[in-house]
Amino acid sequence: MAEMFSTLFGSNEAQGPPGSSSLGFGPGKPPPPMPQNQVAMAGQIPPQLGDEGPALRKPGAMNEPFYLLRELPVGNELTGNTNLITHYNLEHAYNKFCGKKVKEKLSNFLPELPGMIDCPGTQDGSSLRSLIDKPPVCGNSFSPLTGALLTGFRLHTGPLPEQYRLMHIQPPKKKSKHKHKHHRPQDPLPQETPSDSDPKKKKKKRDDDPDRKKKKKDKKKKKNRHSPDHPGLAGSQPNSNSLR
Amino acid sequence: MAEKFDNLEEHLEKFIENIRQLGIIVSDFQPSSQAGLNQKLNFMISGLQDIEKCRQQLHEINVPLEVFEYIDQGRNPQLYTKECLERALARNEQVKGKIDTLTKFKSLLVSELSKVFPEEMAKYKAIHGEDAPS
Repeated sequence: MAEMFSTLFGSNEAQGPPGSSSLGFGPGKPPPPMPQNQVAMAGQIPPQLGDEGPALRKPGAMNEPFYLLRELPVGNELTGNTNLITHYNLEHAYNKFCGKKVKEKLSNFLPELPGMIDCPGTQDGSSLRSLIDKPPVCGNSFSPLTGALLTGFRLHTGPLPEQYRLMHIQPPKKKSKHKHKHHRPQDPLPQETPSDSDPKKKKKKRDDDPDRKKKKKDKKKKKNRHSPDHPGLAGSQPNSNSLR
Repeated sequence: MAEKFDNLEEHLEKFIENIRQLGIIVSDFQPSSQAGLNQKLNFMISGLQDIEKCRQQLHEINVPLEVFEYIDQGRNPQLYTKECLERALARNEQVKGKIDTLTKFKSLLVSELSKVFPEEMAKYKAIHGEDAPS
């Protein structure tokens, strides 16, 4: 899309080509009403076109072969010929939103918001649409709760029933994993610098090394036995021939 | 303009955080938590008052209803902006294509008409000037 954007409009093209606004055959904008003297002259044109008086560009006598000529559209008019995104200085927004992939989920837009916000709002009746369709019945002002009013908020001790614990359920945090991946290369390699844990790793590797070497050797031996170039096999063939 | 949004955003964040803490208190309520709960409830009311004050500064802001649909579906509202921009560009390109095609058509028509009706086209050019054919 961005390539099309640049190929069609170019980077610095703010105005359309010079001939674009000079289309004379289209209906264009209706011209301003004619002065009375010109309306009188419109009687010279064919009678069936008398209603076209205001649309004529010049008096009928001057436009003699052309009785349907209209005013040319005004050149300064903003049309689709201009790159409207450039015209309204929206390149930054275009590059921001269309240049890279925008993540699909709402939780990516509001990562700090608690709760399961990616679920459709219609499921639990928390949709904004329902708020517009059925606005809550409430007073005009918010007044703090006094002692007497707060007695209504005395709760029973103990945990909430399961059905009301939705707020504390967080969506699976895949983002944090991605973040780690992204951040690691940016960090000035603090984890890779020698520390207390590194020698242990090295030691482990060293401890594993002899076993690995043995395994590798065994594998190599097995491979060599089965391979046609192996001297053992070559040696066995003469033996088989010798049996013949 | 941005300050107004920042102000609202700040109040909303405080309000949401207060609600989150309220939820934690309520999720496993203890008798000793009653004072904290009462405090949080009054914080919630003061938070609503702060948000209500922000409304006066933002009454001229119009939000497309489609954005609410995106949010209700659990989708990123930036996708709406993205799709709007892409749609606008596509339409822009279509209209530019039509205008360019018509411009070429006009040029070709005038040149062909000039061959067949040279006198009439000379008069036409006299009326319209030399801007017509390109």
